[in-house]
Amino acid sequence: MANDILLEIKGLHASVGEKEILKGIDLTIRKGEIHAVMGPNGAGKSTLSSVLTGKPLYTVTEGSINFMGKDLLAMSPEERSWAGIFMSFQYPIEIPGVTITNFMKTAVNAKRKAEGLDPMKAGDFLKLMREKMAFVQMRPEFAKREVNVGFSGGEKKRNEIFQMAMLDPTLSILDETDSGLDVDALRIVAEGVRSLHTPEKSAIVITHYKRLLDYIVPDIVHVLKDGKIVATAGRELVDEIEEKGYDIF
Amino acid sequence: MGINDDKALEKCLNEPGMSISRRLDPSPKHDSGHYVELPLVRNEKTLEVAEGEVFDKVYVLGGDSALTELPFENIIVGAGAKVNVVTLVMPGTSIDLPLAVDIIGEGADVNVSGLYLCGGEEKVQIRTEVRHKVPSCTSYQLFNGIAAGKSNVKFYGKIVVAPDAQKTEAYQTNHNLVISGGARAESKPQLEIYADDVKCSHGATVGQLNEDEQFYMRSRGIPENEARVLQMISFIAPVLAKVEDESRREELQSAVEAAVRKSLATL
Repeated sequence: MANDILLEIKGLHASVGEKEILKGIDLTIRKGEIHAVMGPNGAGKSTLSSVLTGKPLYTVTEGSINFMGKDLLAMSPEERSWAGIFMSFQYPIEIPGVTITNFMKTAVNAKRKAEGLDPMKAGDFLKLMREKMAFVQMRPEFAKREVNVGFSGGEKKRNEIFQMAMLDPTLSILDETDSGLDVDALRIVAEGVRSLHTPEKSAIVITHYKRLLDYIVPDIVHVLKDGKIVATAGRELVDEIEEKGYDIF
Repeated sequence: MGINDDKALEKCLNEPGMSISRRLDPSPKHDSGHYVELPLVRNEKTLEVAEGEVFDKVYVLGGDSALTELPFENIIVGAGAKVNVVTLVMPGTSIDLPLAVDIIGEGADVNVSGLYLCGGEEKVQIRTEVRHKVPSCTSYQLFNGIAAGKSNVKFYGKIVVAPDAQKTEAYQTNHNLVISGGARAESKPQLEIYADDVKCSHGATVGQLNEDEQFYMRSRGIPENEARVLQMISFIAPVLAKVEDESRREELQSAVEAAVRKSLATL
């Protein structure tokens, strides 16, 4: 059914500077689906997530992206967030001087303002924060820490999933969320993502390796190579890649 | 006295009631290479914080404040005294702000800090010189500024540690954010250290708002302008943290945030 479609990418070409990285991507994501995008280094995986979130310096030269009936490419990064897109960064950014509490309060209230709602009451906000922090096993004192400053790799990724839980997105993009994580951190992060998933929501899991996909099982797997999707299949494709590598494509 | 003392000048300065005005070199290009002990200046622009006393004060220059300059240009600090002076230069204020500190008694602790916010055509020049003349004292200089519009800001900061002033700890930091193409910032830190058992450092930067931080915040739904405000407020925070009194600090935080929103954050 057409109204099941959450995201539709058609003929997408994108460049950084003069260099074309994405060379014609078609991808359709329906409600409830989890898609894995796999591929070797330099295939364009991170460019795809950057274009979806509106990162400056990435230029779309051709094609379109429709998200829930809206022209995504015409929207600013903040408008995309309000519309329900969230990306867990491969390398979360440190923001010295801004506490997690202040950062999330500003983000949550900006979204509420865009929806015509009043700012959240301070008590309600702190309660929500405590609940979502516990959910990814972040200690309460992290609320007062500066965003990502001095965090370990695992703490940074847990902070990403905490923010995801706070903002409750319709489409989550996990960009190499498994990189730099040990097994325990991987499990906490993956369980967080899994329990946030509902039949109304979708996710794109971008990864080089199989291991995250053992926890977050995809419905559809795409292989991205040299800026194009060269294979699309069910989850069995993950094992084939694990066994034979990307050279078969 | 040091090796270069000038008998005539010394005599002149020791005359009771004698005042001498002296400008700090606005753009020191060379140091003398050896220690020159400058005579103490006592005049109507001198603040003397005597042995064991505490002087803790915030000065807001411009903005809603009627004050347009500091009531002193040099501070003499006695043994065991504590000095904490925070100066906030609000948008729309052009100023030349000289501040010399002579530490003449052991065990003194000096903090001089400042913030300058410029969004128009202001010219702000800050010149500090902290002179450690005796052992076992600490000094911290922290000045952060934001230059927008067509403003022009300069910071010249100096630390001098006399040969006898062992166990000195003296630090100086100056960070500048330049947020529009027409604005300029310049920072010239100087250290002159003649003692060997000391801890001294300086750090100076002139930079712009970090775009990766901005994109990260925007991807969380924080609008671009609000992201810039958050960045500027976090940049300013270390200076406001020097204000000891909590309610005064909160009051200044909201005044500074309002000034940033009004004069600096417009795209």
